[in-house]
Amino acid sequence: MKDSQNFNKISLFVIAFIMNIHAIKATEIDPPFDTYKHVFEPFGVTCDLCGCSTSSGSFGFGTLSNSNFVGIRYIYQSFESKDGIFSNSPTTKETFNTYQLWAQLPINDVFYLSLNVPYQDLNRAYENGYKENLNGLGDSSIMGWYKLQFYKKESDSLTFSTERMASGHSLQFGVGVKLPTGKFEEALADNVNPGFQVGTGSVDGVFAIGYNYGSNKFGVNTLMTYYLKGENKNDYQFGNQFSYSTNFFTAFSKKNYNIMPFIGFSGDVYDKITQYNETLADTDGKILSGTIGSEVAIEKFIFGTNYTLPLSQNLFGGNVKSKNRFSIYVNFAL
Amino acid sequence: MKILKYTLGLLLSIFIASCSSDDHDTMEDLTGQTGSLILKFDNGIGNQDFIFGTTYTNFKGETYQLETLKYLISNVRLTDNQGNTYTYPEEENIFIVSEANGNAAGEIYITLNNIDAANYTHVTFGIGVDQERYASGADGQGDFLTTAQDEGMMWSWATGYRFMRLDGTYSSPTKTNAALNIHMGSVGTSVDNYKETTLAFPNEVLVREAKEPSVHIKADIAQVFDGLTSVSFDAGYAQVHTDEITTGVIATNMSGIFSVHHVHND
Repeated sequence: MKDSQNFNKISLFVIAFIMNIHAIKATEIDPPFDTYKHVFEPFGVTCDLCGCSTSSGSFGFGTLSNSNFVGIRYIYQSFESKDGIFSNSPTTKETFNTYQLWAQLPINDVFYLSLNVPYQDLNRAYENGYKENLNGLGDSSIMGWYKLQFYKKESDSLTFSTERMASGHSLQFGVGVKLPTGKFEEALADNVNPGFQVGTGSVDGVFAIGYNYGSNKFGVNTLMTYYLKGENKNDYQFGNQFSYSTNFFTAFSKKNYNIMPFIGFSGDVYDKITQYNETLADTDGKILSGTIGSEVAIEKFIFGTNYTLPLSQNLFGGNVKSKNRFSIYVNFAL
Repeated sequence: MKILKYTLGLLLSIFIASCSSDDHDTMEDLTGQTGSLILKFDNGIGNQDFIFGTTYTNFKGETYQLETLKYLISNVRLTDNQGNTYTYPEEENIFIVSEANGNAAGEIYITLNNIDAANYTHVTFGIGVDQERYASGADGQGDFLTTAQDEGMMWSWATGYRFMRLDGTYSSPTKTNAALNIHMGSVGTSVDNYKETTLAFPNEVLVREAKEPSVHIKADIAQVFDGLTSVSFDAGYAQVHTDEITTGVIATNMSGIFSVHHVHND
């Protein structure tokens, strides 16, 4: 009985999911590519992973325990990009600071929303000492989630228990949008990297499936996210993106606080960028990173930090290198 | 279940609303519209950026350093996706690409203005000066004659233009820091070394009134010496001036050094 109820919910969800994909596809079949505005050395690569992707699934949408919260998060990322077409061309160093308001808000027992409003502060330094800065509101995202909680098999079917025992396993299905709340600047100057943007300027569809397991001592947190990228006003369309992450955590319960260290990996795969119906060479890429971090829960507060180091990467023909990233957050559990 | 339906319904409608886009004309009317295009010349040695004073090695094992690197580009033509050809106005259609004029990234810009708006797929240009332009006499050269003289790209009017100028030194098993001067050109009307090259763009270049697309052209200077023919400085290619044989070999090599690395549609 319970299973069939769950099944119905899943089917409904899947139907809605497919309908959404079709809705997006339908508008993309007839893409109005006519103009776009951009200049970027070396390749016209606007690397989406740079300024604009901090709402990416590989960063996660919430806390380890998948609880509801409101909080703030700071993300530091550093990159190195080649500024020219030769192997000995100069490089530029980019550092991105992102300050996010993020939240996971309950609707009822099985539905919740996740919200993300970033403020971006992007810096780029050239070898000759020239520096650029861009800051402002980034691209916000909102996602609706359905959580499918699995329950332990009832051992005694004669007992009508109103309280079912949670097995600790759950699946989450999320659908949402990333909105162009960040400004996608037209080319500022010839030496400005358009990947150096606070926003992509596009409305993107976001689809996610997560799996969580949590017991008192141990947990797993897995998330796969797919981004269907729209085109922006400048008729530039970033490649679709697939992000994944898995973190294993353990919990040490103390009298007044909980410590949950975690270790895991995450990655992103980017399709090529499209412009005027043509894909651009060297605009795809992938990256796999290792993550280590910890959360500390003190009463209603969750303090978290993590450090991410790329294990392997090939981004944009090797012209962009992700160096590392670091995040810290404080959440207030709801 | 109601909430489920409402939530999904809401999300669905957000999607449909946000993903619908304005109607764009797929066929643009470009009649009478003009725009500009930048050709960025980027000199390299293989996959290395060219830098003055750096020691490079040719296939014969001889090493060389350059202190001058410049060449003439003329008769730039663009072919669009309909097969039409646009030719830049003849009088202005000659340029000197000089490494010394490169920006911080070592790129030399040639800006072409008032080009017919179109989606271009190929560029064709000549290296040097063709016989027709040369035959138009000193007056027919316009301001370019003075420019070329100032840049050291003329021998004399009778001999004509130097199409390229590579000055520096080379070392080999027998010579150390010997003079290296590659001054290839046509010799009056007796030797014609003018050659053209056509390069395809990896993406269409959209010239429009409100845009400034650019084409990044890589010039592999190593192929001047190791192109179709590999030459040896010691075997007569340290001083290339008006000799019919050696200038011809260099001219042929020179016509193959260019490739389009990428384009920007700005």
